[in-house]
Amino acid sequence: MTATENLVKRLPNDIGGLSAEPIERIEHELEPWEKRCHALADVLDFRKIVNTEEKRCGVEALGSEMVGKLSYYERWIVAFANILFRKQLLSPEELARKMGEVEARWVQQSVEEPNGGD
Amino acid sequence: MNGEQSRPTISPQVVYALGERPVFKIGDRVRVDKRLPVGHYRVPTYLRGKTGVVETVIEPVAVDNEQEGFGRNAGGRRHYYRIAVRLNAIWDAYKGSPRDCLYIEVFETWLERI
Amino acid sequence: MADHHHDHEHDHAEISHNARPQYYEVMETAIRELLVEKKMIAADEIRRQLEVLDSRTPALGAKVVARAWSDPAFKSRLLANGRSACEELGISFYDDTQLIVLENTEKIHNLIVCTLCSCYPRPVLGLPPDWYKLKPYRARAVIEPRAVLAEFGTIIPDDVEIRVSDSTAMVRFLVLPMRPAGSESFTEGELAALVTRDAMIGVIPVTIDSGSTQ
Repeated sequence: MTATENLVKRLPNDIGGLSAEPIERIEHELEPWEKRCHALADVLDFRKIVNTEEKRCGVEALGSEMVGKLSYYERWIVAFANILFRKQLLSPEELARKMGEVEARWVQQSVEEPNGGD
Repeated sequence: MNGEQSRPTISPQVVYALGERPVFKIGDRVRVDKRLPVGHYRVPTYLRGKTGVVETVIEPVAVDNEQEGFGRNAGGRRHYYRIAVRLNAIWDAYKGSPRDCLYIEVFETWLERI
Repeated sequence: MADHHHDHEHDHAEISHNARPQYYEVMETAIRELLVEKKMIAADEIRRQLEVLDSRTPALGAKVVARAWSDPAFKSRLLANGRSACEELGISFYDDTQLIVLENTEKIHNLIVCTLCSCYPRPVLGLPPDWYKLKPYRARAVIEPRAVLAEFGTIIPDDVEIRVSDSTAMVRFLVLPMRPAGSESFTEGELAALVTRDAMIGVIPVTIDSGSTQ
């Protein structure tokens, strides 16, 4: 009983004071899509489509497993999908179809440019 | 009024809107509420129920970030306060100087004066 | 596909068009394209914001620190209102955040963390390093700051007060490190070259030997 209550009472990102490993000074150059994801977040905030707090809330709402297993920007983009659905700005079907189209386009380009594009 | 030409007349007392003026001031001792919000909060669990001192009153009033997370930008504007809490008051077995402190911004509705 | 900009010293491999695109990259591309199609955002806005992000690096923060060390009046203004002092130097804040600059002294050492997410003074420092966003730093900085600092090689004596600032709202923080001994004759430019990102987070000091690699 206590175990499940704590899942609700304590958000997955609320980790101040929990025990953790030694700090590894990891850093990585952001992938282009990660930078675009960050730019998207900023633009959505400027345009008042999705504000920063809504994004944080959306990431929390992914739940412990996803918060633990997805990387930083992976969490953001899934959270954005959910928030945009909730606001009825996008539908799951639209996004699914577009993702299929994007992937097919990539596959097509790799056929046309077997040695890599640009 | 007629005999006080040298003093500016103060018209009917200005009444402030609810939440417009800060409730707390620098130096006030405050306690963080122990309530347990479901869904979204910005007051970490480690801080609940702890006592600290107001170090800065953040101006201007701003939206309650718990409400803001749900897309409600209207209403709920009050002050945030940067409070100082001794680390040895937060953590039972704190190892370090007794002077070491945590500083954190907390929305007005989470604090009570003690 | 959006343009992206490469101001990196090393070669940056393009996402190969041969490789199967990563799931989340597909999601990001699809969401962005749909929002542009629906005219909720414009492709140009994304491109512009990428440029904004690329232009925000720790070199900006280093400029602020070096100016504060060199100009006591600027330093007072900086400590009174971090954002407006940065704006004096042309460092705009493109969001609604405020900036409080925290001065390290012989008696006080400041450390910045965001336990709940990754709040960071991006307009003046750029994007935070991974370690700042990961659990070990976020969990431990508020409970054992001295042990955390020691992991960065920074030992703070017991008679120095540590102040850990946990960002939770609209205020962001920048540490104004102590000016290193031996730098008295340095120009502002030479001073700025010593100031690293990690010193402005508060995990390491600035020394005569520290170089601005970030």
